[in-house]
Amino acid sequence: MQPVRAEALEELRHQVAQIEASVPTLAGAGHSVRLGIPAIDTALGGGLPVAAVHELAPALPIHSGAAQGFAVALAAQSRGSVLWIETDFTRMENGAPYGPGLALSGLALDRLVLLTVPRSIDVLWAMEEALRSRAVTTVIGEVPNDHTLDDGPATRRLSLTARDSGGFGLLLRQRPSPAASAAATRWQVAAAPGAQDQFGGLGRTTFVLSLTKNRHGPCGHWLIAWDHHDRVFQEALSVSVAEAARDRPDRARLARTG
Amino acid sequence: MWLRRLATDRIARASLAPADTPLIIVAPIKSALRITALNDAAARLRLKPGLALADARAMYPSLAVEHADPDADQRLLDAIADWCDRYTPLVGLAPPDGLAFDITGCAHLFGGERAFCRDLVTRLAAQGFATHVAAADTLGCAFAAAHFGDAEVCLVPPDEMRAMLAPLPLAALRLAPEIVDALAQVGLKYIGDVLERPRAPFAARFGVEFIRRIDQALGHEDEPIKPRLPVPTALVERRFADPIALEADVLGTIDQLARDLDRLLERRGEGARLLQVALFRADGAVHRIELGTSAPVRDPARVRRLFADRLAVLGDSCDPGFGFDMLRLSALVTERLDPSQTSFATPDQNAELAHLIDRLGARFGLRRVTRLVPLDTHIPEFTVAAVPAHAPRSPASGEGMPAYDSLVTARPIRLFDHPEHIDAIAEVPDGPPVRFRWRHVLHEVARSEGPERIAMEWWRDEHGNVLTRDYFRVESRQGTRAWLYREGLFGRETAQPRWFLHGLFA
Repeated sequence: MQPVRAEALEELRHQVAQIEASVPTLAGAGHSVRLGIPAIDTALGGGLPVAAVHELAPALPIHSGAAQGFAVALAAQSRGSVLWIETDFTRMENGAPYGPGLALSGLALDRLVLLTVPRSIDVLWAMEEALRSRAVTTVIGEVPNDHTLDDGPATRRLSLTARDSGGFGLLLRQRPSPAASAAATRWQVAAAPGAQDQFGGLGRTTFVLSLTKNRHGPCGHWLIAWDHHDRVFQEALSVSVAEAARDRPDRARLARTG
Repeated sequence: MWLRRLATDRIARASLAPADTPLIIVAPIKSALRITALNDAAARLRLKPGLALADARAMYPSLAVEHADPDADQRLLDAIADWCDRYTPLVGLAPPDGLAFDITGCAHLFGGERAFCRDLVTRLAAQGFATHVAAADTLGCAFAAAHFGDAEVCLVPPDEMRAMLAPLPLAALRLAPEIVDALAQVGLKYIGDVLERPRAPFAARFGVEFIRRIDQALGHEDEPIKPRLPVPTALVERRFADPIALEADVLGTIDQLARDLDRLLERRGEGARLLQVALFRADGAVHRIELGTSAPVRDPARVRRLFADRLAVLGDSCDPGFGFDMLRLSALVTERLDPSQTSFATPDQNAELAHLIDRLGARFGLRRVTRLVPLDTHIPEFTVAAVPAHAPRSPASGEGMPAYDSLVTARPIRLFDHPEHIDAIAEVPDGPPVRFRWRHVLHEVARSEGPERIAMEWWRDEHGNVLTRDYFRVESRQGTRAWLYREGLFGRETAQPRWFLHGLFA
């Protein structure tokens, strides 16, 4: 196909889509990934916007499993193929994405393409290309804990690409960064002690979600649980909160004033 | 083509000595250093290969002597063959010092066979190689004419092959030396001596090989040239009077070539699975860039993108030097590609994905782009295999993982390639851990599930000493969930079981 004709075709597709009053993106620009928890969805203005880049980071390094679980849960909610980009370093540090576990979380293996790149700067390149190509709807990029992302243009480029193509980009950091970012939202994810299930085993996975940046609304702090069976998020009551209530000192600390 | 003085030319090219300095190459043969090669100046002194070095020194004390290095000669021959790729894609080696070309259908591009041979001789002479080139209908005849003919360029018309061969010595037939010696003993020295005689006695006495060589030289028996490199099914090329060096120019040329290749492949209804761009540098070096694709490709825009990505990675390793004077794009492997109608409403998802995989593969290497395919085993690390995403999907892999329900045991989302050794303490030797230390951090286990006992497949280990693993799913007091296992059954397989952390749960 000649490039000129490809552009013309793209233009015509766009016109057709406008006639049909929908934007021709696979995931659909303006669509959003709902977490299913009214409080969070309201704060996000209806859900996590799809044509954007979001940043996830574990609150502490030991919570990396939780952060990845949250990313997988979000990716599983979108339709279409998922490209998971990791570096040689993160693969060694955090392990490789494990198929059966991903399938259990709702991310079927035939939707997943894995890419391992040698350097962290390559993650950004691959992520941008993948977002632009529209071949995949969701791109998860794992960035090692270096200063690759600390310059503003890196995330801004990704955000613009995602906005234009309608791709859903998830940047998975290894720890929260104080540097500025152009991502639509930034999350800190931590695991929380969950309740035991009815058989005395491990129950639903509990996450402490901190929304530290939200371009379209307020930030917040929530405790939610992931139901593996129904594959939905639910509101959770923290075990530690209950314990804290039981064990707390008899007098609450005085609030300082002035 | 015969590189008459390959070994000495190699040394003369690197030295500053005048070309008429006698130079001989020696190697230990039959317990003495003997001459294996010599240059023209040495030949004029009536030195001959096979002469002992001591004798040669006695005659001419000032001879320049070098030791033979067959490997360096071989490398040089390879480099020359690479360079000769610009004439025809079908270049074969005729060791130790010859090259064979199939110039069927390409001699006219250089102005006919004579001009072709003349061009080859002149260009190689400019590089410091003395060559004899002969063109004939058969490889055997061309070999004989190049090695034993007098002229630098020798064309043998089809009807003169017999006449040309007749006065040449029998060694020109590429016979083993002992056969030549045996024939000489019965008074047969020239090819003409044997051509007219009955063949059966020769076959009986000197073997079928002898007869076969005669037939090959005369064209009664076919002898194909063994190409050094895979011969592409389709190729297009551009030559430049002025070498190009800029990346933009190279890419522009690849773009033009891709259009030509597109037309060529479209006519055949094929697409390329393996593409190669050969960059011929003006000073003779050749860079070859190969690219595999996940689906047959012939769209010029895609081909160009793939090579643009690849070149971006290669960067300086693809040094243009003084510029490239020829670019060739070839499709090494092709597959059937039927034209398909492009949908007007949405782009084709699968084609887009295939193209993305190709591009990522072009940049990072196709082995780095993978898909996970379930395998039929219960050993956790082998349950899924990462296969290159560009490989065609086997029918079995289309099924995906079996449907999961609540009865299926939980599996982590991250698995370490190498399970990490941890210090764990259990209340009872075969019970769940109560605390463990992983990466210098102590974790108190709040809750655990298990054990899930996974015995290793005994046939995987030839010594049979594979230890059973007891897997536990644990949650620490902070909420971190991990997949631990104890290696070895306490008391039965080992007295000191070791603990490992194998994966992380969400």
